[in-house]
Amino acid sequence: MIYVIDHHDSFTHNVVHQFSLFDKVYCDNYNYIDIKKLHDASVVVFSPGPGNPKNYPLTSKIYKQFKGKKKIIGICLGFQQILFCEGAKIIEQKKIYHGFQSNIKVISNQSLFKKGKIFKVGRYHSLKLKEPFKIKNFEITMRCLESKVAMSFENNKDKIYGFQFHPESFLTINGNLLIKKILST
Amino acid sequence: MNKQNQLADIHNSGKAYIIYKSKKGFDLYTNFSKKIILNNKNIKSFLSRKFKNKNKKTDLFIGFFGYELLNNLINVKIPGQKNINFPKGIFYKPEKKLEIRNKIKFKSGYKYKRSKFKVNINKNSYAKIFNKFKKKIKSGETYQIKICTKYKTKSKINPLDFFSKLSQTNLAPEAFMIRDKNYSVISCSPENLITKKGSDISTKPIAGTVKKTKALNKIKALNYFKKNLKETKEHNMIVDMERNDLSRICKVGSVKLSKQKIVEEYKDLFHYVSLIKGKLKSNIKNIDIIKAMMPGGSVIGCPKINTLNLLNNQEKENRNIYTGSFGYIKFNGDMRFNIIIRSILNFKNVSEISVASGVVVDSNSKHEFNENYIKAKALIDLFK
Repeated sequence: MIYVIDHHDSFTHNVVHQFSLFDKVYCDNYNYIDIKKLHDASVVVFSPGPGNPKNYPLTSKIYKQFKGKKKIIGICLGFQQILFCEGAKIIEQKKIYHGFQSNIKVISNQSLFKKGKIFKVGRYHSLKLKEPFKIKNFEITMRCLESKVAMSFENNKDKIYGFQFHPESFLTINGNLLIKKILST
Repeated sequence: MNKQNQLADIHNSGKAYIIYKSKKGFDLYTNFSKKIILNNKNIKSFLSRKFKNKNKKTDLFIGFFGYELLNNLINVKIPGQKNINFPKGIFYKPEKKLEIRNKIKFKSGYKYKRSKFKVNINKNSYAKIFNKFKKKIKSGETYQIKICTKYKTKSKINPLDFFSKLSQTNLAPEAFMIRDKNYSVISCSPENLITKKGSDISTKPIAGTVKKTKALNKIKALNYFKKNLKETKEHNMIVDMERNDLSRICKVGSVKLSKQKIVEEYKDLFHYVSLIKGKLKSNIKNIDIIKAMMPGGSVIGCPKINTLNLLNNQEKENRNIYTGSFGYIKFNGDMRFNIIIRSILNFKNVSEISVASGVVVDSNSKHEFNENYIKAKALIDLFK
């Protein structure tokens, strides 16, 4: 079972529908966590949402509690939330991407995806990861072809994954395949 | 008696009636046997009513939900605002329906005194709000937000005169008019928010409008929208947001973009439109649908809840009907609702027209302020 933690976003239910193609999904707001469902879940997903990771201390607490014990996936704000918990800085970017379709490239040979592969994806983010960024077991695996901004990370040891873009957006081509691969690993 | 004469008769009789654009013309509803004034307390019981008779064309409630009522329904707070005490929502049970198959022709001969409209936010204050919201976009608190400005004037109007004029020039697909004893609404809303038939539901967001000219045909309009990055991004955002809102109430895998970014042609303008459809989950009630879809996202911004909070803390005046929804709920459960924009509310001899346009990161304050005026002007011109 997959438990999606909603950060009051207007895209969370697209995420729920996408993950529901592969498993049973429950979704609750970050302020109303169902402890039993959270414990029963094999995968925890942090949804996109407005604002900054520091606005969501409850989500950070959940991350720290379950890191290494469950598969954790973060999308957009969720991506930033995980990195923030690992000590990274999340900063404003000069050019902002809202409703933007970008080409991104797999840049790492430690990725579940083939190095050099290009995806067309939808983006909705004001903030980005501050680099250089180096944390044990976390690997930046995809970048925007144009701006080089980090677009995904993978921690295949602890099974933690994050996408800065939105796999559930209609702007993302083959988003379902991306999620399927992450869930089946 | 022909339908135009019947319409004039109903109008002149002084009784309340409603006109709503239909596929082939207009539907007129009148002889109201019930009038329900909605408030935060009775709306839930209103929406969960069940009916035995459901086959007649008049087995429905027709009316509107105001903006404040819809916020309250999804637990979004509105701090104290200037209020004209206009009802939060009103629904009517008609006993008579008249189908009008051509244009509405009516002239009262009534002469309007031209009075000047006053705007509630001037250019400078608008720029301040604009820059404040732009910062909120940069820090990720909202991705898109629509600033509302309100134009007001003291005037007595004849709503059917106005609606008749509008129907000659601008056949908006969600146009409607309400004439009751103490208020009237004239609207050329173009946007359908909910069409529900059985377990099928659809929404048809508009994001992107361009004025028709001799040089600009439909194909060129599509090219214009495709090349215009601001319009494209705004539109993309609305499509994903509406997919999301439908996904709350629809079966997994059933939410589909059935028309993606097409151009629709109206008398004076082109709209950039998408159509999103879904199949309702079996346990979903009408109140769930209304809570998931309203207020309509395309006129608010995104993400909905945070953006509503930002707007409500900024705005000093009640929006009344603006960005609420007008439409009907049939006794068999089917519904049709629009988003109330491009509308005049006349109450206590004051007419108000609200308009909004979007702040995204690369929009500019002057342009959007003027854009608001252009939107209002089409309605202000009716007072000439």
